[in-house]
Amino acid sequence: MAAVLVRTEHITPTQTIMGADAYNKMFTLHGAMMVFLFIIPGIPAALGNFVLPLMVGAKDVAFPRLNLTSWYLWIIGAVFAVASLLVGGFDTGWTFYTPYSTTTPFKGVIPIATGAFILGFSSIFTGLNFIVTIHKLRAPGMGWFQMPLFLWALYATAIIQILATPVLGITLLLLIVERALGVGIFDPALGGDPILFQHFFWFYSHPAVYIMIVPAMGVISELISVFSRKHIFSYRFIAYSSIAIAVFGFLVWGHHMFTSGQSSLMNMIFSALTFSVAIPSAIKAFNWVATMYKGCISLKTPMLYALSFLFLFAIGGLTGLFLGSLTTNVHLHDTYFVVAHFHYVMFGGTVIAFLGGLHYWWPKMTGKMYSDRQGQIACFLIFIGFNLTFFTQFIMGTHGMPRRYFKYSEQFTTLHVLSTVGTYVLLVGFLLVAYYLIDSLVRGPKAPSNPWGGASLEWQTTSPPPVENFSQPPIVGDPYDYGDLVYDPEIRGYRKLIKTGAA
Amino acid sequence: MTRQPAATPPQDPRVNPAGVFGMSLFLVSLAVLFTASLVSYFVIRFRAEQWPPPGMPGLPFGLWWSTLIILISSVTIQLGLWSAKKDMQAAMKAFLSMTLLLGIAFLFNQWANWSDLLKIEIPPTVNLYAFTFYTLTGLHAAHVIGGLILLSVVCYKAFKGNYGSQYHPGITYSAMYWHFLDVVWVVLFVSLKFSF
Repeated sequence: MAAVLVRTEHITPTQTIMGADAYNKMFTLHGAMMVFLFIIPGIPAALGNFVLPLMVGAKDVAFPRLNLTSWYLWIIGAVFAVASLLVGGFDTGWTFYTPYSTTTPFKGVIPIATGAFILGFSSIFTGLNFIVTIHKLRAPGMGWFQMPLFLWALYATAIIQILATPVLGITLLLLIVERALGVGIFDPALGGDPILFQHFFWFYSHPAVYIMIVPAMGVISELISVFSRKHIFSYRFIAYSSIAIAVFGFLVWGHHMFTSGQSSLMNMIFSALTFSVAIPSAIKAFNWVATMYKGCISLKTPMLYALSFLFLFAIGGLTGLFLGSLTTNVHLHDTYFVVAHFHYVMFGGTVIAFLGGLHYWWPKMTGKMYSDRQGQIACFLIFIGFNLTFFTQFIMGTHGMPRRYFKYSEQFTTLHVLSTVGTYVLLVGFLLVAYYLIDSLVRGPKAPSNPWGGASLEWQTTSPPPVENFSQPPIVGDPYDYGDLVYDPEIRGYRKLIKTGAA
Repeated sequence: MTRQPAATPPQDPRVNPAGVFGMSLFLVSLAVLFTASLVSYFVIRFRAEQWPPPGMPGLPFGLWWSTLIILISSVTIQLGLWSAKKDMQAAMKAFLSMTLLLGIAFLFNQWANWSDLLKIEIPPTVNLYAFTFYTLTGLHAAHVIGGLILLSVVCYKAFKGNYGSQYHPGITYSAMYWHFLDVVWVVLFVSLKFSF
């Protein structure tokens, strides 16, 4: 919603619907809320908590009460975020850079930082639960390499959540203390260092980018294989590349700081390491395409999202290389090019994968089928709207349109208007999704146990699953072997082929 | 996972078999938190021309007492855990209560260290030397308070007779956490005291 308002403001080069302060608060609100409340917990907490126990064939996660705690912490964090608006909002951008964040007159900084701090704990507990569940609760017969790739992705994500989030915690804590006391280690007047804040912040927030994208890649690995009716290509490479991304992710934070004055040697090292992340990402992309090759592809709604992901993530990932190169970075730094790049990754990647996963597991979660036709239309609208919104921003960025500016020069008007129109198309797409998903709850036909023909364990139980997840112990097999699953029009879903003596 | 070695004694079904692993991961996460705060301390400290800054006293001597107290408390909680494993109820209760008291004594001593500085008018806001001292010790103390809450619950359960040789997860977890706080304190103490 904040995003729609921000884009509406940009229909004209000067003030349209709000003042400059309101605009600053609005884009900050959009960034902070989306990152901390939605994109980071979105796939792991919302989809993962439902699917992970099912996929390992367990009753629940290892520590259900801790999981509930994590949920309550999320709520409390969200309450703090809303409270920050009541005390006057905040205009620091979601990055809270010092010294601005310690001196800005708006009083919302402490509540939102506290909120993000609490959300961090929510995230750590989720990660902890996932690692332990995957280690200890896999169904008998399920080795590490019989796990669906979504679990590998969640595992890699959980490692980042546990090791990176505490750094954000201490950073925000120090920021809160500094703002409250007026003294702190980020204050240069006292011998402190504001750049230290940036190092600490990005030491968490860059790995956090992989908290956002790695689970999305996991979802895509499931979708591509199921809807191509073909075994995933080179399983181990995809599994290991998730871990590789998690590890590399810790070593590249400095690429957010190329223009902060760090030494050119540091810049070169960070730039080189940044390129190395492209390798495991590209491995995944190639393997997905290879999985589809000669597959029997069905363009159901989840698969449309998976294909959108491939297209959008390729653009998002490759434009990252322009930003990772030192020379082009100096030109593109803090322009709309950056905004477009990370929206292609976070929206085109994570949100699209979230929607794909939501449509894929919706029948399993709710026991109801939605209208596939409406789903396809909405996916199409979102794809068009998204590209219209953000591809135009790539062009503006290369022409020098700086990010976070309230006013802009006349030459950008057409592109800004197009971008805003794209946002409205997106909004319509989202409203349609909300409409038919809610509608399916009321009027949707009952979902079969296995509507898509998935071979991972969650499709062996009923839709929705019983309280204990499985009424009889699931049979563990290859999660990507679709050979013995046949479509049965009578149940409008897939069932196991009953092997007769003759066969 | 798939097969149990025959030698393992039967586990009490109430014990979550994943508990120790989960607690270890939590401690790893906390370790990162403390490491990051120490890194920030060292960055600030080695950037300063003089440390402590001119006119500032050294750190309170009482920190040695804190170190001694928390080291002893680590021993007592371990003895409490061993007593629980051997089902020695009286010893278990005694050692757990001793740990609780030592923990409280540690906090009091830390407060005394703070007041030593406050008495000679060195609040946390005077400079980064004071600020880092207060924040690092305060961060540790906050975790000790959390540990004391955990220990109180465990003590209460021990006195209610909930724990035995087969079932004492609360003692196991609080001992892990307590040893962790001990190690963090020693690292913190050495870093603060000997980085002059």
